[in-house]
Amino acid sequence: MRNSYDEALITEQLHHQDTAREAFGKVIQHYSSQLYWHIRRMVLDHDDAADVLQNTFIKAWTSIDNFRGDAKLSTWLYKIAINESITFINKKKAQNNLSLDDDDSFLAERLESDEWFDGDAAQIKLQRAIATLPEKQRLVFRMRYYDEMKYEDMSEILGTSVGALKASYHHAVKKIEAFFAEHD
Amino acid sequence: MKKEESQLLNDLGKDAGFKVPDGFFEDFNARVAQSLPDVTITEVNVAPSLWVRVRPYLYMAATFAGIWGMMQVFNQFNGSADHAQRISEIAAGIPNDNNADELIMSGVASDYDILTYEDSVMADEPQQTQRLP
Repeated sequence: MRNSYDEALITEQLHHQDTAREAFGKVIQHYSSQLYWHIRRMVLDHDDAADVLQNTFIKAWTSIDNFRGDAKLSTWLYKIAINESITFINKKKAQNNLSLDDDDSFLAERLESDEWFDGDAAQIKLQRAIATLPEKQRLVFRMRYYDEMKYEDMSEILGTSVGALKASYHHAVKKIEAFFAEHD
Repeated sequence: MKKEESQLLNDLGKDAGFKVPDGFFEDFNARVAQSLPDVTITEVNVAPSLWVRVRPYLYMAATFAGIWGMMQVFNQFNGSADHAQRISEIAAGIPNDNNADELIMSGVASDYDILTYEDSVMADEPQQTQRLP
């Protein structure tokens, strides 16, 4: 299926009433996995990730007129996915009487009881360490370390210079190392 | 990528331990595609911008302008070399087909030089032997 995916053609089809729905179905098939894993690493829970991913696609579909093909479709979808994830996490914080300024450690606390998580203690510690990072560093670390995304692509999605992204990643790694040293 | 990563992260690896139910993505893709609400698409022909349309012609024009410019420089360089050679020949009083008129007009050539030069021309062109008195 991936081999038959032609982004230029899909983008064209998305702007015509009679072809848009089928074209968007192909978009879902093509991007659901990579967007899911990015969202999952943000919200950590499988069911939450599935809900946020569904919201991401529905938001993209209902605002498809806003996508003019100036940027890559993946860039546009990533932006929506990140915004939906942050909105979801902020709602969760409000439900847990946490401030928006608090870090995301509360999400990592539930990992051990998650049936769709089978990481060891070191993996749980890594997720806790990531959760303590400032939001921008958290995003940059996940996109670089797990998604292995190019800094240039990250720059388009996050609207930050490549130099600043590299600095963010470097700081994130140092903080994670310090977290492990502190919690050894 | 490797050089910017720490030994700790290399040891941990990139498998975060997250799993999904079997067949999750197939089910998800079908379910979400079915649940998409009806929307009205504003049909637009994503026409290329003016810049995109004229860009090839501008590139072509720039290429020709560059070639023309290089030819001008080349011609100027060659012209300068020829001109300098003629000036030095005039200064030295060496007559040839190119500088004979200038030598005569500038007064550098003596009457003897002029006659000698005319004789050499006549010798090179034997068919034009008729001289005016």
